[in-house]
Amino acid sequence: MAVTGIWTGTISFSLVAIPVQLVKAVRPGRVSFRLLHSKDYSPLARRMLCPEEEVLVPPDEIIRGYEIGPDKYILVTDEELESVSPERSRTIEILEFIDLSEVEPVYFDQPYYLVPAKGGEKAYRLLVEVMRRTNKAGLAKFVLREREYLVAVKSVGEALALITLHYREEILSEEDLEPAQGELEAMEKSRLKKSIENMMADFNPEHYADQRRDRIMDLLKKKAKEQGQVEAPRVEEEEGEGPADLIAALEESMRQVKKSR
Amino acid sequence: MSRKIVEIAGRKLSLSNLEKDLYPAYGFTKAHILEYYRRIANVILPHLQDRALTLKRYPEGVDQEFFFEKRCPVHRPAWVKTAAVNLEDREQMTVCLVNDLETLMWVANLASLELHVPLARAASPGVPDSLVFDLDPGDPANILDCARVALILRDLLKPLGLTGLVKTSGKKGLHVYVPLNRPETTFTDTKKFSRAVAEILQKNYPELVTAKMAKEYRRGKVFINWSQNDSSKTMICVYSLRAREKPLVSFPLAWRDLEDLAGQDDPEKLQVISSEAVSRAEKQGDLFSEVLVKQQKLPHL
Amino acid sequence: MAGRAMWKGFIHFGETSVPVKLHTAVKENRVQFHLLHKRDQVRLHQQMICAYEKVPVPPEEQVKGFEMEEGRFILVDPTELEQTEPESSRMIEVHEFVKTAQIDPIFLDRAYYLEPDITFKEYNTLAGLLEEMAVDGICTWTMRKRSYLGALQSSGKTLRLNTLRYVDEVIPVTSLELQKFSLSEKELNIGSELINHLTESFRPEKFTNEHQQRLQALIDKKARGEKIAILRPRRKKSTAPDKLLEALEASLRKVA
Repeated sequence: MAVTGIWTGTISFSLVAIPVQLVKAVRPGRVSFRLLHSKDYSPLARRMLCPEEEVLVPPDEIIRGYEIGPDKYILVTDEELESVSPERSRTIEILEFIDLSEVEPVYFDQPYYLVPAKGGEKAYRLLVEVMRRTNKAGLAKFVLREREYLVAVKSVGEALALITLHYREEILSEEDLEPAQGELEAMEKSRLKKSIENMMADFNPEHYADQRRDRIMDLLKKKAKEQGQVEAPRVEEEEGEGPADLIAALEESMRQVKKSR
Repeated sequence: MSRKIVEIAGRKLSLSNLEKDLYPAYGFTKAHILEYYRRIANVILPHLQDRALTLKRYPEGVDQEFFFEKRCPVHRPAWVKTAAVNLEDREQMTVCLVNDLETLMWVANLASLELHVPLARAASPGVPDSLVFDLDPGDPANILDCARVALILRDLLKPLGLTGLVKTSGKKGLHVYVPLNRPETTFTDTKKFSRAVAEILQKNYPELVTAKMAKEYRRGKVFINWSQNDSSKTMICVYSLRAREKPLVSFPLAWRDLEDLAGQDDPEKLQVISSEAVSRAEKQGDLFSEVLVKQQKLPHL
Repeated sequence: MAGRAMWKGFIHFGETSVPVKLHTAVKENRVQFHLLHKRDQVRLHQQMICAYEKVPVPPEEQVKGFEMEEGRFILVDPTELEQTEPESSRMIEVHEFVKTAQIDPIFLDRAYYLEPDITFKEYNTLAGLLEEMAVDGICTWTMRKRSYLGALQSSGKTLRLNTLRYVDEVIPVTSLELQKFSLSEKELNIGSELINHLTESFRPEKFTNEHQQRLQALIDKKARGEKIAILRPRRKKSTAPDKLLEALEASLRKVA
């Protein structure tokens, strides 16, 4: 039961290394649309096109290039890319552990889950459990495709979540936005505090529905009843005639049917 | 809303909203739905067994929002059997297998009025157990035209040594199943075969049949949807309820009955409603059982 | 310096109304690659292709559909969708306050800085209070025809708005179906001790994008025509389950 994910490798801390796979933690919400061809309602897919030869280019004919001048590129292969940081391409190395509450929310970027690969289930569970007990998260770096990420690895329920972080240098300064500080009026402060206290609740994401999605669902429901659905044509593997033998046999059978009717 | 806890085979299940009217124009509540599935369990369970279930849930009733659920709902009793299926973007998904009465009741309690399953079993998703001819009438053609096509189809398959079985879709059309039940069968085979048959019928009965999916070809004709023979497609399970105004059922018909009904003028006579489904099944047993056991080989491929 | 103000609104709850301007908080910085055709090094364009006919489809032949069933779609046209768009509003409505610690970072999407617009006394009071009480305000607002769910946060002196993911966008952990495994108290204790020894305070300035720098160096090398040595990525040897305790103990010895 192999689960193939976005990336396969190891997560390590000190002398312990755990084989893992990186999988998605985020998916499109309930209402997400597909683009269709208005002619035959076939779903559209993104493909790369060579504008000069006017052909669709399959993945094995694609190479990445870095632009150093107009139409001048330095080509970089997957191998060369991986060799830039060879250790980090296959290992999420936890460099230290931190208290996640020290990380300002602005640092968090994309979440993923890590799932253990064969043989790593026990060590994985240990890491989840000890991170939960100590209430700490691991800070690590790893390379995924072209980029090196700084990530936080934390326990979420029974799993490990990996959340990519922005680098310090990517976070804009907000110094110029800070307002002048003045004396806070005590009465104003106490009124506001009361207001906030009256509105305290527990964070429960299930409570927050996307109203626009609800409206879209209503619209879709209505349309389903009024107009019905369109169907996409099936994509053929090869366009071609059916096997000759079969056609011949069917035609013979058809002759018999017509005779008897 | 009323709630009841039942025990089936030593397992506890909480049934909820029993008085909720899910077929408001007809007056069929959740309790009725659960009762239907309980009574039809003997004949429906073999057809659901070990197949990845796609739930079609109507929590507020047949005229309100519905949603498909291919993933087995996360909050499920521990005894619900599941299987892992591979998705195209290399992810995996957990699906429900309805292998016993208590799971059937649990699914029905979720207001999954319709039960859809693939032609292959979850353990061998590339091996179809049968080939299907999904007959879909385009307005103003109707189920009687489908019946005509189904009978021609039956006669066409006979000289090739193949037997088919027919059921109502519970909506507008009919489904003709050709049992195969052989491990070497592939969807490529079944698709090729069903397509060739559909095209021969289209050629010979151009006013009645089309093998083309685009809407402009289907007006007034019966569309033979051969592309349903695919590992990614599902069919409504025989004996499942349909979410229409009335609780009609996807019900098997004997060929001789289809002949009689095709000659009459009333398309409604082919439809089977839940109460009738129960009494007929209790009297005659599973008319579709051959679909699961008969072994046949597609010739000339 | 923060980015330009991209939107103006006002935070609202009860009798409180705080006018603010929204600024982006993050500017990504990375080496940009283009995708090229291997044969002729021509830069590729992204196209929408019809899966059936395998031809490019221009925008005027594209239509949006919602997949109700396998391969069956309900078509929607742009004007219908427009009607579902939320009305334009400048209000950031706060519905409730929750303890900051309750918001799991998995729900955090994008952060924005809020700058007080004209008046700043209430802004300061609110910023101070949210920090003091360690709470975030859960709010909704619409911006550029989209509805957002977010957390109103304070960094002490300034307020921030962090968009949140909706629950149906986050894949639940239970769907991963992870096995339960029993661990010995000894393993758990040594593991916990190890983590405590390896704990530091979070100092983000310690971490720079080294890969970026090395990648740039690689590109420069290639531009000069120098040969690149290909180093194979090395995968670390996994710790076998029965050697776990040993590895933990050895690690602890190393750091303690």
